[in-house]
Amino acid sequence: VCLANPQSEIRNPKWGGAVLRVGVDVGGTFTDLVALGEGGDIRVRKVVTTPADPAVGLFGALDVEGLAPSDPVDVLIHGTTIATNALLERRGARVVLVTTRGFEDLLWLRRQDRAALYDLARDHPPPLVSRGDVVAVAERMGPAGVLEPLADGEVARAVAAVRALAPEAVAVSFLFAFRHAAHERSIAAALRAALPGVPVAASHEVLPVFREFERTSTTTVEAYLRPKVATYLTRLERDVRGRGVAALRVMTSSGGTLPPAAAAARAASLALSGPAGGVVGARLVGVAVGVSELLTLDMGGTSADASLVTGGAPVGDGGGAVAGIPLALPAVLIETVSAGGGSIARLDEGGALKVGPESAGAVPGPACYGRGGQRPTVTDACLVLGWLDAASPLADEVRLEPGAAERAVRSLGPAAGADATRVAAGIVAVAAAVMARALKRVSVARGLDPRRMTLLPFGGAGPLFGCRLADALGMRAIVIPPHPGVLSALGLAAAAERIDLLASFHRSLEQLQPRDIAGAFAPLLAEAASQVPGSTVLRYADCRFAGQGYEVTVPVTADDPRQIRATFLAAHRARHGHAGDGQPVEIVNLRVAALREGALPSFRAATRGAARAPRAQRAVALAGGRATASVWPLDELAAGVTIDGPAILAGRDATALLEPGWRGTVHPSGAVLVERR
Amino acid sequence: MSLDAVGLEVMGHAFASIAEEMGLVLIHSAVSPNIRERRDCSAALFDAEGEMIAQAAHIPVHLGALAESVAAVRGLDPRPGDLFILNDPYTGGSHLPDITLLGAIDLDGAVGGYSVVRAHHSDVGGAQAGSMPAGAREIFAEGVIVPPVRLTGEVERLFLANVRTPDTRAADLAAQRAAVERGAEGLRALAARYGLAATRAAARDLMDYAERRTREVLRRIRADGLTATDWLEGDGVDDADLAIAVRVDVADGVFHADFTGTAPAARGNVNCPLAVARSAVLFVVRTLLPDDIPTNGGVQRAVRVSAPEGCLVNARRPSAVAAGNVETSQRIVDALFLALAGGGIPVPAQGQGTMNNVTLGGVGWTYYETIGGGQGASRGAPGPSGVHVGMSNTRNTPVEVLELECPLRVRGYALRRGGGGSGQWPGGEGVTREFEALAPMELSVLAERRRHAPRGAAGGGPGALGRTILNGATLAPKVTALLEPGDVLRLETPGGGGWGEPEQGAKR
Repeated sequence: VCLANPQSEIRNPKWGGAVLRVGVDVGGTFTDLVALGEGGDIRVRKVVTTPADPAVGLFGALDVEGLAPSDPVDVLIHGTTIATNALLERRGARVVLVTTRGFEDLLWLRRQDRAALYDLARDHPPPLVSRGDVVAVAERMGPAGVLEPLADGEVARAVAAVRALAPEAVAVSFLFAFRHAAHERSIAAALRAALPGVPVAASHEVLPVFREFERTSTTTVEAYLRPKVATYLTRLERDVRGRGVAALRVMTSSGGTLPPAAAAARAASLALSGPAGGVVGARLVGVAVGVSELLTLDMGGTSADASLVTGGAPVGDGGGAVAGIPLALPAVLIETVSAGGGSIARLDEGGALKVGPESAGAVPGPACYGRGGQRPTVTDACLVLGWLDAASPLADEVRLEPGAAERAVRSLGPAAGADATRVAAGIVAVAAAVMARALKRVSVARGLDPRRMTLLPFGGAGPLFGCRLADALGMRAIVIPPHPGVLSALGLAAAAERIDLLASFHRSLEQLQPRDIAGAFAPLLAEAASQVPGSTVLRYADCRFAGQGYEVTVPVTADDPRQIRATFLAAHRARHGHAGDGQPVEIVNLRVAALREGALPSFRAATRGAARAPRAQRAVALAGGRATASVWPLDELAAGVTIDGPAILAGRDATALLEPGWRGTVHPSGAVLVERR
Repeated sequence: MSLDAVGLEVMGHAFASIAEEMGLVLIHSAVSPNIRERRDCSAALFDAEGEMIAQAAHIPVHLGALAESVAAVRGLDPRPGDLFILNDPYTGGSHLPDITLLGAIDLDGAVGGYSVVRAHHSDVGGAQAGSMPAGAREIFAEGVIVPPVRLTGEVERLFLANVRTPDTRAADLAAQRAAVERGAEGLRALAARYGLAATRAAARDLMDYAERRTREVLRRIRADGLTATDWLEGDGVDDADLAIAVRVDVADGVFHADFTGTAPAARGNVNCPLAVARSAVLFVVRTLLPDDIPTNGGVQRAVRVSAPEGCLVNARRPSAVAAGNVETSQRIVDALFLALAGGGIPVPAQGQGTMNNVTLGGVGWTYYETIGGGQGASRGAPGPSGVHVGMSNTRNTPVEVLELECPLRVRGYALRRGGGGSGQWPGGEGVTREFEALAPMELSVLAERRRHAPRGAAGGGPGALGRTILNGATLAPKVTALLEPGDVLRLETPGGGGWGEPEQGAKR
């Protein structure tokens, strides 16, 4: 990997006057705020999250920073866990599911595989709908169209049945509606007319793709989340405007942002709103330093999220589940593992050291927080190893107690080996192995070679693990972003306005003419233009060999079927290692992403740093033994300075570790570009 | 070198992620619904001595039996980089539709391990479309037999000339081959990174660790001559019940299952090679272990299986075996749980105990589906409903996929309300799935628990019996038929047994 010349010119922001873009990331433990100001300066704030009403913490962060109403804020972009938490805590709307008669149990049948191969008592989490809240409708579409017509009287009967159940939201999902939506349309229209104020989500609108279980589940999630998300966003928008903020936007799982009204109508697309902001922020840092192939790792308090940016864009993922509920909407690819700073280490019965999934959370937190935690966490191990500085409080308020950390870590001692340092080294090694596996799942498992990518670790603890993870994956370059602890909020502040549209279009590629392709994209392009005026539009096709069940999404840069085929063959070979000669290729779905970029942050404030020499030396324990590391102020580094490992870069919101054999160079953006010496 | 606690975990993740990748390559690029939708396939990595290092957790009946495949190939003087294929149940296979591809991994010019991928191909030729014919009397009727041979272009041509859907098979084999290659690449990358000797030592240590943990758990189990007998409901030729008898002894951390007393090999195809019986025993042992013990060759070291030569669970060529892999394996599990429960060991009540194998096919197409049912309840938890139990864990074929690709219509798909056994913790409910034929086609059903209901445990009630109904008439457990357009086939799958006496006033 060739990193950009640190002296290369930085793109200047395009501020339209004295305006501010503010990103607010409300996480489980901390609420982070990043304000991008005129001239590219970045202001950063971290406050404690207020779970009962996230808006309180959000406005608290604004107040602390002295923003709005005193400074005019052009736009506030919000990354929210409201949808995620509603799913995790099962606090969504009471949903009635309207479905094809004979198939009322789809949500309970799932795909019939069991929850655990060998634990026969374990079951899947129950669906979001009660079985008594399913209304069956006499109708049936098949592959070629109507098999059983939907009678007017049946529509009226179904509407009455739904009304009698007094739902807070309704999901409609009929068989084959991804291809033949007429029946769903009739029922949805009748329900909307009869039950004003009750949101109705129809599967052909939410996810028009085949596989009835996944589509029905996703549609149900949409209905389940919509009232809560809509209420929250409506109130938030009112309050935000009351403070003189001109506009509110919300981050979606796919890394774009929507105005509140649009977001409320696509509530299920907010399920990964939080982590998506981090990937967007990582991409921006990549743009600033001139790197387009990034493996990203966001290490937070309870978990670590791996993702990647390739060709300068985050990678999408159409599948997956949130909180055990299948949700098949476009999302930024995120692989979550339970290896966060608060993850608890323990020895299993066989003497193997395990990290997570149990976490000390914010309360009591790691033992070194001194809030009553007794069990050793990854953060405790880092403190014992000398990677963290007990003298620097976290987020301005948490002071670290080395004695407590050492006691907790030593409690694993007798079985695992000798002294606290050795046990702590084991804890970080296991945490790194868990994270490395997540990084491999998003890269190697998708046919992307991490050795040709740059690692971008962020979150409070991520940059401590950068060198070690790069080693494990054979990577040679790392970018430590400016303000790694609040990169998600930075991504929010700078995020593009983006909408993703999808249409089912099941056709053999060989039988298509260029005009067919242009014609099929036309309605999607028109809708994209109306929803995000002035946007750049990207076209994609989900392709597969005829008969396959999983598609590869490829960009469509021209209407030429031969070119689409060639692109697909190359992508299939890269991902799966083979590409059938002469096998027919078919398109399954068309996708359009419309985006309007926000101004890029300049990160120029960071270049004003003046630190050209280490502030101190500290003894640290590394994989190769004890060493003396130079200690640098991460947030004040002067551009062009080179730092040889072992070195600790201690910032206000995060700490980075350069291991021996690695050399960092401070980029004018404030990022540190780390390469093998 | 011996792994410390840390290295163990690190290398465990590394090997496991290779197996995971192999499975993903196969599922995401195969074309037949049975592999890509139902995931009737498994992937594993073996060491050069033929012990399993890691697996992708898919189908229990595959995973325990793969060691036999590797053993069969190791006898053929494998050279680094060789690719083998086999499906012969009497030399390393299970039943003919399960085609196994094995790559001898080239590590520094020597065979450093084996990358193994097994997938159920819903057509390997034979007397009937779908290659799961009820009523086969010899293995020759069940499809083309492939002993362990190197997979050359000519071998592939010979195989494809013997099946009804050669294009689909060729595409699935290409995906399977790519998955094998991905496993080889993964192990090579690991060896390049850590060194050959260290990688090898890590694999041994992981297996030693799993063996040690397994034996520790087994030492806490008291089982001295626990016996049980359960019944197979005919073999597809004769309808008479067939005994599956087992005796379990656990001594010095080794689980020994002996099948003396089991019926001799049957005339129909409910027979199985000992590999399948070993898989079933291994599955039962695995359910007794905590989740965090890796499933690898070390667990197998703590398991011994014996059965008289030529009996139903240790069959000899040319006994037919198609149903043995899918149905007899389930009954072995049931018999083992029954024996353990008799010794006071808290195992779950019996689950549906069948895979409800439905095979349909006509000109140019085949469809194979197994249908979930009720899981037996456990002490402390009701049995899950509508899931695969025991030796299978395949997914369903979505209705929309089925109707797009086969001349079939699904008229209904639902849980069987009230089908779970009563109990303090009730058993899981079975499933109903109703098909209408839209063209003439051949049907084969291989099913069980049509007259002997899944038993409850500790006073719990039995699960509902399964039923196979064609145009309103109930069919035998194992049956073949020709369907005409408009014919309606309805499967009602068994419920799971309940656990514990139902409380007064309990609903079920």
